[in-house]
Amino acid sequence: MKLETVDYLILAIYFGFVLGIGWRLRKSVESSRDFLTAGRSVPVWITSLAFLAANLGAQEVIGMSASGAKYGIMTAHFYWIGAVPAMLFVGVFMMPFYYGSRARSVPEYLKLRFDEKTRGLNALTFAVMTVFSSGISMYALGLLLQLVLGWSFTASVLLSAAIVLTYTFLGGLTSAIYNEVLQFFLIVLGFAPLAIMSVVKAGGWSGIESRLPSVMTHSWKYMGDASQNPMGVEVFSMVAGLGFVLSFGYWCTDFLVVQRAMAADSMSAARRTPLIAAFPKMMMPFIVIVPGIAALAIAKMSIGYALPLKGDGYDYDQAFTTLMAHFYPSGMLGVGLTALMASFMSGMAGNVTAFNTVFTYDIYQGYIRRGAPDAHYLKVGRITTVAGTALSIMTAYLAQHYNNIMDLLQLVFGFVNAPLFATFLLGMFWRRATGHGAFTGLLTGTGAAALTHGLTVAEHKGGWIAPLHQFPSTMAQNFWIAIFAWTSCFVVTIVVSLLTKPRPAEELQGLVYGLTKVPRDTGVSWYRKPAPVAVLVIAVLLFLNIWFR
Amino acid sequence: MLDLRAPTGWFFGLLGLILAALGVFSPGLRASLTDLNVNLYCGIVMLAFGGVMLLLSRKRS
Repeated sequence: MKLETVDYLILAIYFGFVLGIGWRLRKSVESSRDFLTAGRSVPVWITSLAFLAANLGAQEVIGMSASGAKYGIMTAHFYWIGAVPAMLFVGVFMMPFYYGSRARSVPEYLKLRFDEKTRGLNALTFAVMTVFSSGISMYALGLLLQLVLGWSFTASVLLSAAIVLTYTFLGGLTSAIYNEVLQFFLIVLGFAPLAIMSVVKAGGWSGIESRLPSVMTHSWKYMGDASQNPMGVEVFSMVAGLGFVLSFGYWCTDFLVVQRAMAADSMSAARRTPLIAAFPKMMMPFIVIVPGIAALAIAKMSIGYALPLKGDGYDYDQAFTTLMAHFYPSGMLGVGLTALMASFMSGMAGNVTAFNTVFTYDIYQGYIRRGAPDAHYLKVGRITTVAGTALSIMTAYLAQHYNNIMDLLQLVFGFVNAPLFATFLLGMFWRRATGHGAFTGLLTGTGAAALTHGLTVAEHKGGWIAPLHQFPSTMAQNFWIAIFAWTSCFVVTIVVSLLTKPRPAEELQGLVYGLTKVPRDTGVSWYRKPAPVAVLVIAVLLFLNIWFR
Repeated sequence: MLDLRAPTGWFFGLLGLILAALGVFSPGLRASLTDLNVNLYCGIVMLAFGGVMLLLSRKRS
């Protein structure tokens, strides 16, 4: 892929606007709350699109189109089953507790609801995790630009990190959120033409169906048995593992996304943020997955396009960029590349802004220095932003040299995350749940995840204790690890809670269902109320699943 | 607080202008798999999107 002057010009204009927005917003930062929580003043359409964009990293765009080429439309389950129901749940049922409590972060909610140690565990693992995942996505971007454009790894990593750092340092969370919206529009307008042209080239959806095996164009039909589909998963582990445990664990408890909704300017707006975001979320498969499927179909037409090879198979990760080079001339190619950079930056800014808030409020203010004046925490927040970026850059280089350590770390994070939703579910909806119960439950769940991994094998992964069971794919293994972790955390939390002393009801006001006044929006139009919007989302979701069954 | 619709409008307006101009003045720019004037059409769409954003931000203020 070769870029011309105009492509670089477009990239430069984008960087200019991104930094300009940060510069314009610098005056809105007067307190640590402005900097770290956007002062709860952002309009709902902006928080909704940011809610979506913070999760839409470059790895996701590249990875999802690669999965599209590898597994077909089944990949869309990561959106339709693996995201949308959880987004509805967090908006309708959980946001009243997050937004309504005095918590400034998800770990802080755990402190108010349970106790100090549960918060400490969550804050610490979350902080480490965000730094590593932002480093790993930075590494992925550097690698991609090196491969596709021949840019130097160091230059692309440092340049993109410097830009993200500048605008988050200047305008804090508000600036990150505003830029995420610009990035979202750029991703849609930059990638949608590619999706349309590649599908038309392949002869429309019917043309794709005629050129590819039927398993590539059906999302449910081959799910009855793991041996029938290339993902190697069956319907129960897909729905329970991905659709329930992993998806709810991420969308309902991960501060990176919840933070965007908590920045909204009212309770009603906070609740509608994930609901409104669900509409574009459901459509994202058409922009990121379908081009991957189309790429495979076009490659079978022998018209001068072939998927790049790696070893003795296809290099699916290159499906998206090679497709772009075959459909976009100079000019639009610059826009497509800028959109790729934008998706990377939105993912990284999401990590950085979540990290600095959790570090400042939950680790620094919680354990290092309490009771300082607010200006001090604002300063700490800014320093943490710089430190978080620096740590991410170091992680990117670490990932370049020690790939195995990164795989191991991601595995461990998976163990820590899998049981989380059980803790929140019990915490929010069962007032009898106690801090000791939550803490023991989390540890047991993490242990159960590690144990499952140690006792099962899939694609030569796991089985380090004893290979008792063989899974058809690592995806199936991951889903089952999540199911076991969640269930053991759920059960242990209940048992230990019943054995320990409950907290008095008056301490739990605003934190638990039944002791919290759930806001009723009366006198506003239906589309400003959470429940009708959620019903509309479900209708569209059902339609999509039936259409692509 | 900054109204985000204004910078969004300017950004896509500018991008659309560059692409549309490229489509008009170098219509020969083509990628290998399509005969469409991709720059022109995408440019027009972005110009329209940018225009709507600017219009909306005007209407409020």
